[in-house]
Amino acid sequence: MNPLVGDRAPDFTAKAFYRGKEETLRLSTYRGRWVALLFYPGDFTTV
Amino acid sequence: MEVLVVSIDTVDTHRKMHERGLARMVPGGALYPMISDTDGAIGSLFGVYDAAEKVERRSHFLIDPEGTIQATETVAAPIGRNVAEILRQLRALQHHRATGDFMPCGWQPGRVTLTEANDNVTETRKIWDDWKPRNAF
Repeated sequence: MNPLVGDRAPDFTAKAFYRGKEETLRLSTYRGRWVALLFYPGDFTTV
Repeated sequence: MEVLVVSIDTVDTHRKMHERGLARMVPGGALYPMISDTDGAIGSLFGVYDAAEKVERRSHFLIDPEGTIQATETVAAPIGRNVAEILRQLRALQHHRATGDFMPCGWQPGRVTLTEANDNVTETRKIWDDWKPRNAF
């Protein structure tokens, strides 16, 4: 289930903190724009 | 380009990270959505959730305006992201879409690109007419 370059990015809906409040967003609503999706281990970690 | 960041933290922890950490380092703090993936479902969709450690692996995916993944990289957790490289990849992808040119090894904006004139079939120009090995660095 690992998407590779050339595959369609899997769509998802998620809660997020943005501009001071909780929002729900969906990846496919960003169609028409380039998206950088950055995963990281966790908040309040050294790196 | 839209930036979306994802970790397993709750929305409330993201709020604290923004208020107590990021807003102190950078004016305005986090200017992009901080997605909460508490059960790793989104990370799993992209193949980067570490179920043993229960965290996302540090990675990026560049997704084009049609929703297709064009670049991805995953690096061990102690090694921080190279933002300049992510921007370089984005600029290269956008330049190729706009011009059809190819970005050779070591390409940076402003450096030489290769075209179909350099290819094996037409070979109007040899690759080494336009690109030198020192351009890799």
